[in-house]
Amino acid sequence: MSDQMTAGAGAPVPKKRRRRRHSQWTGLIHVLPALALVTVFFIVPLGMTVWMSLHKWPLMGLPRFIGLDNYERLLFDKSFWSSLWFTVQYTVVVTIALLGFAMALALIVQGQGRAVSAYRTIYFLPVVTGFASAALLWVWLSNVDTGLFSPLAQDLGLTEGRVNILANFTPAFWSVIVMVVWKMAGFFMVILMSGLQSIPADYQEAARIDGAKWLQRFRYITMPLIRKPFALALILCVSGSMLAFDQFYIILSGGPQNKTVTAVYKIFNESFVSFRLGYGAALSMVLLVILLVLSVLQLTLLSDRKDK
Amino acid sequence: MKLKALLGGAAIAAIALPGLAQAETFSLWVRSDGSEFMPKLVDAFNAKNEDKAELQIVPVNELVQKYAIAAAGGSEPDALSLDLIYTPSFAQAGQLKELTEFAKSLPYYDNLSKAHLSVGAYDGRIYGMPFSADASVLVWNKNLFEEAGLDPDKAPTNWAEIREDAEAVAALGDDTYGFYFSGNCGGCNIFTFMPLVWASGGALFEDEGAKATVTTPQMKDAIEFYRGMVEDGLVPAGSQTDSGSNFFAAFAGGNIGITPSGSFAIGALNNQYPDLEYGVTYLPGKDGGWSSFAGGDNIVVSAKTEDSKMPAIQAFIEFAYSPEGQKILAQNGSLPVRDDVAEQALEGLDARYMIAAEAMAKGKTPYSPVFNDLINSLNGPWVTMLNRAFYADSAAEVDEAMEEAQDEMQSIIDASR
Repeated sequence: MSDQMTAGAGAPVPKKRRRRRHSQWTGLIHVLPALALVTVFFIVPLGMTVWMSLHKWPLMGLPRFIGLDNYERLLFDKSFWSSLWFTVQYTVVVTIALLGFAMALALIVQGQGRAVSAYRTIYFLPVVTGFASAALLWVWLSNVDTGLFSPLAQDLGLTEGRVNILANFTPAFWSVIVMVVWKMAGFFMVILMSGLQSIPADYQEAARIDGAKWLQRFRYITMPLIRKPFALALILCVSGSMLAFDQFYIILSGGPQNKTVTAVYKIFNESFVSFRLGYGAALSMVLLVILLVLSVLQLTLLSDRKDK
Repeated sequence: MKLKALLGGAAIAAIALPGLAQAETFSLWVRSDGSEFMPKLVDAFNAKNEDKAELQIVPVNELVQKYAIAAAGGSEPDALSLDLIYTPSFAQAGQLKELTEFAKSLPYYDNLSKAHLSVGAYDGRIYGMPFSADASVLVWNKNLFEEAGLDPDKAPTNWAEIREDAEAVAALGDDTYGFYFSGNCGGCNIFTFMPLVWASGGALFEDEGAKATVTTPQMKDAIEFYRGMVEDGLVPAGSQTDSGSNFFAAFAGGNIGITPSGSFAIGALNNQYPDLEYGVTYLPGKDGGWSSFAGGDNIVVSAKTEDSKMPAIQAFIEFAYSPEGQKILAQNGSLPVRDDVAEQALEGLDARYMIAAEAMAKGKTPYSPVFNDLINSLNGPWVTMLNRAFYADSAAEVDEAMEEAQDEMQSIIDASR
């Protein structure tokens, strides 16, 4: 490349080469803005986080280099590992619930027609609400003295007296799951729906003529053909859930008795409540590595084998 | 807007000649809890003096972070009115200028709030001086007391009496309750629950915050006192998950007989709920006596503030301590911090403020450089223990919660040293 540049000054350049060089430059120019953004907003902060994680870095006062002490400390930090374990449990439950529900919605609204597009809109609406506002709505609905859930449970005969659903782990946990499914199902429905619509109608028709039942068609035609959008939905759902914070912070504040502190919540507490920024950075790095491994794992497992 | 202010400041600095006595402008931050009284005090000071204070109000939950970020970038305010419990941690971090000499030179030094000064000190030197004050008290609903056949003017003076009164009020009906507290709020309970323990002879910290003393009989008794009322349905179910949002609103709703609260409630109830008849009394100990949490703000000066600004800042502090300044504070929701002019400052105001002022004068403030970690954090050991113990099914569970909190608090304290 550099040879070409020096030799090429003034001398006529063969047409073919010039075109190739031209396209290289345009390529670079096109990715430059993205490259700059990635550098400024991802690579530099990442580097800073790594640097920070090697320090005792209080919010006020001077940072002190301590090498790998933060990482050594986190190995024995029970509350971090239990928050991570809780996050994993939450991710498994919410992913199954969310993708199952989104799949059902997508199957309902994949067709055409006026009513169908109205349903699509309705299912998608909660997605545009912010997590914070949705969570606040949930707090209000769950309030035992003034909310709606408690009297509803009473009217349905589920409980005898008033019930404070956020006061015990199991109902509190499931109420967050329900909230997240309500809020996010529409988003994953759209992804899965686009996959469903890309399946040529003749495949299903041919199978139907061959006498395949609905379940068989779903198992042998629909699922294999929406593998890619499904993989996308799965990765988004898993990585999003592993980073869960707002819903647990706003609805439960980590309660009852700190049983619902997620990994990000723990990082938040270390960094901005206890002001141990260096330690918070070290925890973030661990979470980042776990997320990387999870994403690579999912991609490998779900990628289309024919592509390789 | 900010740029303009900066340019303006630079211009003033450029015009002023060195060596001449000149008017100084210093920047001053206050947490949003002070948004009533602080602007009025600053306006009065600025109108009277050559020196000017430039006020910025910071949301209460962001103050520490905001200050730290500003300090890292060298743009911290010259002075700051800070939640008093943070003074030790700011001083420990080397952020504050020492004010010992100035404080002791004031003729009324001995009349300044002892509680504020106790947390304003670090390593034997004074870094924070009393500024605004808020004491915890017990309030009761006179309308409900009357309906329940109790004497509406007779305040409960020990735990047994609180319990009896609460039972009588709760007997009124389904939606009326005897007692309320925010069961999942560390800050609310250090303010209103801890005085019950203090008044009975217990303490939470010893040795300037070096030792946690959670597992005392007094603490256990106080927890059992609350737990008993929860168990018998005298407290609304919502208290278990209330992380502070209902701290004031529950009583204001008019269906709660008795609740511990703060002096701030007097102004708020008078303004917003004029129909509610209520009384204010001290937070009693198990068998009588009383105590209070002395809350509010200390005023502190940033370590990097130029010495040339000190006279202006001192003038402002002295103005706040003057009878006029104390009156402005008292009329706008803060108790006086100078007890020799307290009566004068409170003259003409609701008589119930006098009770709060007296509570304030004898009030205590726990001392800890890691207060946020231990007490205010939503997931800290203090609130975790209380939430578990108040709603525990058995006495054994209470003991377990207390022992765990003792261990965790001590380990947080040890790790910070």
